[in-house]
Amino acid sequence: MATKSVLNDSKQVERAVALIQLGARLQVLESETDLSYERLLRLYKEVAGRSPSKGQLPFSTEWFLTWQPNIHASLFQNTYEYLTKVSAMEDIDAIMKAYKLYTEQITACGVEPLLSITRAWRLVKFIDNNMLSMTKCSKCGGHFVSEAYENSRHYECGLCTPPARAGKGAVAGGILLH
Amino acid sequence: MTNEQMLTEIREANMTYLMLAQSLIRQDKAEALFRLGMSEESADMIGALSPAQVMKISSGNMLLCRFRVDDDMVWNLLTNHTASKVDNDATTKLHASILMAGRYAEAM
Repeated sequence: MATKSVLNDSKQVERAVALIQLGARLQVLESETDLSYERLLRLYKEVAGRSPSKGQLPFSTEWFLTWQPNIHASLFQNTYEYLTKVSAMEDIDAIMKAYKLYTEQITACGVEPLLSITRAWRLVKFIDNNMLSMTKCSKCGGHFVSEAYENSRHYECGLCTPPARAGKGAVAGGILLH
Repeated sequence: MTNEQMLTEIREANMTYLMLAQSLIRQDKAEALFRLGMSEESADMIGALSPAQVMKISSGNMLLCRFRVDDDMVWNLLTNHTASKVDNDATTKLHASILMAGRYAEAM
């Protein structure tokens, strides 16, 4: 058993608190910190003022490929990759920073953030495990979240070539085409 | 604008830029690298400048911050210059943000 470091422990608590404040589910905290389930539960109640949501995490890769979520996911993932390429830091810290920058940018565009921190974390895991990938759009040259083995020669992103029904049943705070 | 005025304005723009860059870098370096679009080495140098040094390098006849959008695609999206299937300001801005977030080559 590793010796317990108080300094490390406080770092872990700090990270857990930041994640709870961003709205992360308990499963994310369990995976990204070394704190015990009981401590995380107590911390969650203390920070969020309520019990954490129960049930499984959304597990499907499909969600990231539907039109609107794909645009949100792509903005987040591009930001995340930017951060990891320009400076060395732990993955979870990069996810938290990228998430902050993503919500900032999306709000500046007048769109509600559709991606939750839990989804963003899942997305990074999916891409790490080759269940999803980033493909370059043949029209605009931007990188977008796509299926793992997308053919990049003919790939066109959802913003260059929106699907027929895209943006039609738009609700307030969604992405609009016109 | 007289030559004198121009030099003063360049100096002020440089100073504003460097001071903003410094406070961003000191607050959160990783985030600042994304916002400023510069390399870690440059950020370290700027972060370490003293006020006197900032004053000194600000005066000159050259601007220190460089234009970040250097390709047609992003430029057209930002200015809504070309007709495309999407003609919503917020959405084209979002498209431009995705493209710009993907450009880290300059910052390496």
